[in-house]
Amino acid sequence: MKGGSRSRFWHSDGRRLSGLSTVLLLVPFFAVIAFVFVYPIAQLLVISVAEPHPTLGNYARVVDNPVHVRVLMRTLWTAALVTALSVVLGFPVAYYMSRVKGVRAALVAVCVILPLWSSVLVRTAAWSFLFQRNGLINSALMALGLTSQPFKLLYTQSAVVIAMTHVLLPFMILPIYGSLRSIPNDYVRAAAVLGATRLRTFLEVILPLSLSGVVSGSLLVFLTALGFFITPALLGSPQEMMISTLVSKQIREVLDWPFAAALVGVLTVFVTVLALVFSKTLRFDRLMGSAS
Amino acid sequence: MKPISTTSATAGASVRISRLEKRFGPVVAVDGVDLDIAAGEFIALLGPSGSGKTTILMSVAGFEFPTSGAIEVDSEDLTYVPSNRRNLGMVFQNYTLFPHMTILDNVAFPLKMRGLPRAEGHARAEAALATVRLAGYGHRRPNELSGGQQQRVALARAIVYQPRVLLMDEPLSALDKNLREDMQLEIKRLHAELGITVIFVTHDQGEALTMADRIAVLKDGRIQQLGPARELYERPANLFTAGFIGEMNFVDVMVKSIGATIAVALPWGETWQLPAAAAVDAMEPAQAAVLAVRPERLELGAGAAGQVGDRQAVEGQVIKVTLSDIVYAGSALLLIGRLPDGTEIRARLPGASRLGSLAAGDVASFTVPAEAALLYRRSAR
Amino acid sequence: MKAPTDRGALLLGAYVYAVLAFIIVPLVIVIPMSFSQNDYLAFPPTGFTLKWYAEYFDSRQWRAATWLSVQVAFLTAICASLIGTAATYAMVRGRSRLVSLFQILLIGPIIVPHIALAVGLYLFFQTIGLSGTVPGFVLAHTVLTLPFVVFTMAAALGKVDANLESAAMSCGATRLQAFRFVTLPLVLPSLASGALFAFIISFDEPVVSFFLSGIRQKTLPRRMFEDIEQNLTPVIPAIATLLIVLSILILLGGHALRSRSKTQSSAG
Repeated sequence: MKGGSRSRFWHSDGRRLSGLSTVLLLVPFFAVIAFVFVYPIAQLLVISVAEPHPTLGNYARVVDNPVHVRVLMRTLWTAALVTALSVVLGFPVAYYMSRVKGVRAALVAVCVILPLWSSVLVRTAAWSFLFQRNGLINSALMALGLTSQPFKLLYTQSAVVIAMTHVLLPFMILPIYGSLRSIPNDYVRAAAVLGATRLRTFLEVILPLSLSGVVSGSLLVFLTALGFFITPALLGSPQEMMISTLVSKQIREVLDWPFAAALVGVLTVFVTVLALVFSKTLRFDRLMGSAS
Repeated sequence: MKPISTTSATAGASVRISRLEKRFGPVVAVDGVDLDIAAGEFIALLGPSGSGKTTILMSVAGFEFPTSGAIEVDSEDLTYVPSNRRNLGMVFQNYTLFPHMTILDNVAFPLKMRGLPRAEGHARAEAALATVRLAGYGHRRPNELSGGQQQRVALARAIVYQPRVLLMDEPLSALDKNLREDMQLEIKRLHAELGITVIFVTHDQGEALTMADRIAVLKDGRIQQLGPARELYERPANLFTAGFIGEMNFVDVMVKSIGATIAVALPWGETWQLPAAAAVDAMEPAQAAVLAVRPERLELGAGAAGQVGDRQAVEGQVIKVTLSDIVYAGSALLLIGRLPDGTEIRARLPGASRLGSLAAGDVASFTVPAEAALLYRRSAR
Repeated sequence: MKAPTDRGALLLGAYVYAVLAFIIVPLVIVIPMSFSQNDYLAFPPTGFTLKWYAEYFDSRQWRAATWLSVQVAFLTAICASLIGTAATYAMVRGRSRLVSLFQILLIGPIIVPHIALAVGLYLFFQTIGLSGTVPGFVLAHTVLTLPFVVFTMAAALGKVDANLESAAMSCGATRLQAFRFVTLPLVLPSLASGALFAFIISFDEPVVSFFLSGIRQKTLPRRMFEDIEQNLTPVIPAIATLLIVLSILILLGGHALRSRSKTQSSAG
């Protein structure tokens, strides 16, 4: 009970928690994160440079083998393509969502949010039904007489791109919607009063102001797509692997842990650096706020 | 109908704040404050934002632990006692009623925390609600009440367990003007009825002057002046208080000589003889000083001063003011103009005053009554 | 006043509803397929039968997988809510220089690819014997769901005026009582909705479960993954339909809870 700073650690002063309670309340969180998140990933990173002996050889194998380089490039390209498709498909939806009210707004919201909370496996399974030889798409094409032979759709990279776009689209729409919603309506009215056409208003007021949402959504989609596993594993071709499926193969079939660890290391470091560089733009709370 | 008091025999407690100091990093919020508050006294802590008034209150409430110094209530040291064990009543700025509880449960909450049986708690809460004239509102929710009613509920909650000290942190600042005046009277009445000691933080000087027995004026974490309203208003202890409380005209002057009267040189060349009592600070010859006069103490016309001629030093001085604005404000008439050297000066006359043909641009004579002039040292700034 | 409908607006509307169809049709399509009499998943579905649902409910393997997932999701929801709420409360009301570390560690599980965490945990849990166990799944899913609970609770706690707790303490409540009687009732709807979403995230989580599942202990998503990968039986549309219904129920529940918390916070 002597000094203010000392007693503050042991006693709450009524406004803020005491330092002791703060620490006690945080212990479980930090313990779980350290034990179940930081440690396992750190262990992998250590293995990637320490086994079979201290070496960067595992990483050299990632970049030396043209097959592996092609996997990396395919992963980057697929993630970029999915991101671009999501912007093209998602922006108008987000814009529409921010403009309409009432029943239509609710309908759009349900269409965007329901998939977000339904299983990735359900959505991937649905696409595998659609892409079957005798699935909806081929049946429709043949019924329309557009083709006499069913296309091979399943187990192609196109199937992976389409299904991943479908799964990740809400992660693009919601941040853009969030940024559009935060544009005061006065700006739009002001632009109109100042004589701008609706197209000009859109191009010169709405588009620049919603750019933060586009960037944030794109990063989210791109980063998630890079490590996506379920969809490529179920819809992709074994000849056209992505980094995550290659990791899975190394662990489940080849049992080459150091190499798998190096692949995970490349992916994790790349993703983390990107996320840290853009940490100001990535507004997870906004995504969560509108999603839940 | 006379409200039933539940707290008939409660007396207030004395509060002693000694050498209180609070630092937030490099910022000194409270800088060595001593304050003795008598049992049952109503004290207002008045000051601009950042003056430390709220920090002092929070230290008494236990929401802030001081860096050094002590707080005693009835000679019991409470400096580092957690707020929930201090048994003080507190009313906050923004009502802070618990939104998920009924009014009755809100008021009964302190009794519940003190382990009182529910029925007894509710009975005493009902009585406390009656004390703040809200009998019968118990079943409602906070959001069904007006701001003024909510603050009265907060008041009831603060007094329901008969604390001996009531702390109020700008309790009326969220209310509109009419309601604020009603509540001022309500709180005064409660204070008289309960005999409780009240420490009341406000930045509104009108509020402090009308309500408090004594007012502590604070600036930069220090008490500038402590005293009853009349003393504060009529003889501010320093230039800050003089400027902070009410309106004040300031004219820079030079002290020429000190004798039975003080001779000061005015910027436009005149020399005035002021009574020795005008000097609030100690004066010496060749001292740079400030002459302060309340606008409502100025009298229009050369009047009495002119007639008594050479007894001017005692009766008052005449100034010539070039008027720039005449503002009619109902109960008062505000005249704004400039002295010969350009210093702005204001005069406030009763609203019913006859101005004759005076208009903006005219030169008017005002009398400064001798006892209205105050003289302060001009600090080198 | 009605906005003038011009060709631009019509075009935008058409485009938007086409995209929405792209989003929603694949989900809806599984529903009729789950009632189809066809043994292989041809389109269009023919006839009407409940035999795929019966097969799901009769199969010991599917039941075991579902039960495991329910257990894991339930415990995950509890752990994540408790740990997440405690940490968020400490961050909102506490004094700590750990804030920035907390924020970085919090977005970690969202940013770092699940495959990386899954592989890391696969290795780690095997060495300590947690692989394929309920505690192992619960720990892993708690890490994955914590950020969602924390974001929900941070928003909710941020709306509760800190002075309410001060007021409670000036009334004689201890810090714990102030939380118990004032703050907790006000954030309870958000807490429940956070727990609900932690439940559904855990219940549907495929990647970490894929690597942590043992030969015998398989979660529902892991069983579904194998079924889709190997033979794609019509049981899958039946399960998918049930899962979609579950998602709808949970979204409705979350919505109801949020509107409750809104009416309560507007009271304050």
